Amino acid sequence: MITRFQAEIGTALATLAFGLVIVNGAREFGIGWDSSGPQPGAFPFYCGLLIALASLGTLVSTVGRRLGGSAALADSFLDREQAKRVISFFLPMLAFIVLSVTLGMYVAMVLYLVFAMRFQGRFGWVPTLATAFGTAAFFYFGLEKFAQVSLLKGPVETMLGL
Amino acid sequence: MKKFTIAASFVAASFAMAMPAQAWQPTKPIEFVVASGPGGGTDNFARIIQSIITKHKLVEQPIVVLNKGGGSGAEAFIYGKGGKGDAHKVVFGTNNAYLLPYVAKLGYKFSDLTPVAALALDEFLIWVNGNSPYNDAKAYIDAVKAKPGSFKMAGSQSKDTDQTLTAMIQDATGAKWIYVPFQGGGAAATQLAGGHVDSNTNNPNENIGQWKAGQVKPLCVFSPVRLAKGEPVHNGKGWGDIPTCKEAGLPLESFQMPRTVWLPAEVPADAVGFYADVMEKVSKTPEWAEFVARTAQTARFMKGKELTDFVAKDEAANAKVFKDEGWVVN
Amino acid sequence: MENFASLLHGFEVALTAHHIALMMAGVLLGILVGVLPGLGAPNGVSLMLPLTFTMDPVSAIILLTSLYWGALFGGSTTSVLFNIPGEPSSVATTFDGHPMAKQGRAAEALSFAFLSAGFGAMAGVILITLLSGWVARFALKFSSPEYFAVYFMTFASFVGLGGASPFKTIVSMAMGFAFATIGMDSVSGNVRLTYEFDVLLAGVSFLIAVIGLFGLGELLQTMEEGLRFDGVKAKVRPRDVLLTALKLPRYWFALLRSSIIGIWMGITPGGPTAASFMSYAMAKRSSRNPEKFGKGEPEGVISPETADHAAGSAAMLPMLALGIPGSATAAVMMGGLMIWGLNPGPMLFVERPDFVWGLIASMYLGNVVAVIVVLATVPLFASILRIPFSIIGPAIVVVCFIGAYTVASKEFDIWLALAFGLVGYFFKKLDYPIAPLVLAMVIGDKAEDAFRQSMIFSQGSLSIFWSNPLVGSLMAIALALLLFPLLGSARRGIRKLTTARAAKA
Repeated sequence: MITRFQAEIGTALATLAFGLVIVNGAREFGIGWDSSGPQPGAFPFYCGLLIALASLGTLVSTVGRRLGGSAALADSFLDREQAKRVISFFLPMLAFIVLSVTLGMYVAMVLYLVFAMRFQGRFGWVPTLATAFGTAAFFYFGLEKFAQVSLLKGPVETMLGL
Repeated sequence: MKKFTIAASFVAASFAMAMPAQAWQPTKPIEFVVASGPGGGTDNFARIIQSIITKHKLVEQPIVVLNKGGGSGAEAFIYGKGGKGDAHKVVFGTNNAYLLPYVAKLGYKFSDLTPVAALALDEFLIWVNGNSPYNDAKAYIDAVKAKPGSFKMAGSQSKDTDQTLTAMIQDATGAKWIYVPFQGGGAAATQLAGGHVDSNTNNPNENIGQWKAGQVKPLCVFSPVRLAKGEPVHNGKGWGDIPTCKEAGLPLESFQMPRTVWLPAEVPADAVGFYADVMEKVSKTPEWAEFVARTAQTARFMKGKELTDFVAKDEAANAKVFKDEGWVVN
Repeated sequence: MENFASLLHGFEVALTAHHIALMMAGVLLGILVGVLPGLGAPNGVSLMLPLTFTMDPVSAIILLTSLYWGALFGGSTTSVLFNIPGEPSSVATTFDGHPMAKQGRAAEALSFAFLSAGFGAMAGVILITLLSGWVARFALKFSSPEYFAVYFMTFASFVGLGGASPFKTIVSMAMGFAFATIGMDSVSGNVRLTYEFDVLLAGVSFLIAVIGLFGLGELLQTMEEGLRFDGVKAKVRPRDVLLTALKLPRYWFALLRSSIIGIWMGITPGGPTAASFMSYAMAKRSSRNPEKFGKGEPEGVISPETADHAAGSAAMLPMLALGIPGSATAAVMMGGLMIWGLNPGPMLFVERPDFVWGLIASMYLGNVVAVIVVLATVPLFASILRIPFSIIGPAIVVVCFIGAYTVASKEFDIWLALAFGLVGYFFKKLDYPIAPLVLAMVIGDKAEDAFRQSMIFSQGSLSIFWSNPLVGSLMAIALALLLFPLLGSARRGIRKLTTARAAKA
């Protein structure tokens, strides 16, 4: 189980790191104020600095409330059951992206929908396959044929001559 | 001007005869990759060519226009670099194709592109507000010289053609402006019409709407010869009535921007020939002539050695300004 | 009243069977591209552009503008149903529209959205008809300092709105600004913060962020809560559309206020997105029960939609009269004008009155057509929510990633959308407000450019923001908006203190 305290601290550390990346990237362009106003790096620099300082603020206040014995922080952020649900949704999504960039988006779309409907949603094969191929066909004709927008394609699409 | 076009088409015709059968043909839809956002000058250039090709059925395959205007157009050239060897990606740009790598750290080099053709030269003029007391370039430059650093020159983007030209004028005359970069020529035109800046160096097309209404007026054009006569635009004056900057007494003769077409590196030579041929056919249609006249550009078709020579010369002239101004990054 | 004669003439031009058919076709196509995320109005318009090469300009612009109206309506549809704004300007519609859909009031939310959008558009067009000459002259007064003041005003109206921790609000807003600075900086010509990754050269697209933060973030949270999607239970009756229409007059004040905000932001260069955010903020601020906002308050749908469409139609005027495109879509249409052989600019009204007034007349007709067509689709769209989540969930995932890819045909954007999805999920669970991030991303770079251009104008002096009555009053309004809530909470604090003391004594 992840407590709210851990999640707060983790997120604040992540935004702090993001702020520092921005600050570091902005220094290259000058952060001062010259005769024509702020230098190119000034605006991102102060944005990054604000992010970093406000993240520190969140860190300090969270730790402070923890020391003060705030009950809300000890609450669950994500219990085992919830985590399972989120991960069972997130991992197929990740797999969909990986398949998209390797096998092409149409193949990925069909595989992903089949997996989600047949094995997660427990639908029968007929509605599953109909939905999966129907969706792929809809996007193929809507995007490639009608709108002439092409999606990522892999070896299978090339083989089919799409 | 006319003599030149005839000579050019003659050269081109003899070229075409030298290469009889085109071996390469497109086999799938062609992407026109545009180095500007929708509505920009390069976008209009690519889309008018698309419309002419479609109308005259010059290419069998369908054409898809893709706008990649990020990083002042660098995104399109980087996309071209990624399409190495793929002759179905045609990149449309200006001189930015070979000038951008000088002024910004970008992930492509000019050698990542294969030159195909240039179809026109876009002109630059000095424009002032319609109510401005200055009626010729000399008087305006003298006024700027008298009060250095108080006149404002608007242009589109930074370290791009407008600012380069401003730097060249400053260098040649000793005048000094405050250069204010805007998002594009349209904004620079409105800012001048609203009297927020003193002048801009817009292309004819970017200021024509405001000139028609008398909100701005042209002082001189940076071209070796006057522009084609055309219809009168405002108060009976037309493009051909604008003096060249040399006539107006400025020690700077010419500044023009080519409208260019590129392919990725390592494409078959036949493919380059194929597109150069298509572009040449486009450049001879009445629709193209009408477009060029309406936007007051100078029609000039270039390919092969003529194009590479032009590019080399233009690159050298611009690179000198970049060095003097301290814009070079590498 | 010369304009009325011209308008009547315009109706003669626009009211032909051919043009009405084009309007219907445009609106339907527009709804389709609007509903598919990633294929927003700008894509739709540039897709149709080649088809218009052979048309006469009036027919061509009627087709394109109808497509634009359709896409705007389509964009609101996905905002309400799936929390995925199809257009930047329909982000604010998600705040209350999606909660309504989740409570099973999708039909009501959609009907409110479409009806108020139609109302806003009409208000915008009426303004164009009455004041075209004046507006064009007024817009010329705007330079960089005034632009900055308008953007500043939008921010000022929006901060201090939510009840979130100030630290978290600052993190969220500053992150939005930071994302907006990535890529080519047009004022200096430098490429900023890309760490030499080419994929970042064009910056982080706002649409990718929205698809991730809103669409995917929402899905992850719905999953965690265990597939509770109350919309499933709701019955959709066509009658609901009519019932909602009858309820609309009750919100006359919100409609009026939002139209004014929208028109104002449309003719000044704020644009539809800023207008919808500002209108939402003003609705919440002036409401007697602001705590209802964000939980499915109809006024939270009506206000941004009205302002969005009022601004969208009012912004056509600067495009035609000055040649400044107010939005990406307007930029594509301007490209179209050039190809058809027209030069946008002050003289267009004089040289081609048939075109301009035909277009204005078609804006009246096109919006009426669009509202009727989209209202007819409400039962259809609302019943999408009755499909079990285990089908619709993965389908939305597919749509989100396809949308992310089609924005710029970049593989990288798919990964970026996933990353934003995670950010959205964590931010929502930890009460980081997302709206400031989105708003900062949309107008952050414009505000920065305007500020730095102003500083070049004044050679580094801030006094330029008080240098004329126009910019001075804009800045004063902005500061008032910024300080008012602070003063309000200070006063409440003092009152609490004094009553506490009085109670003690």
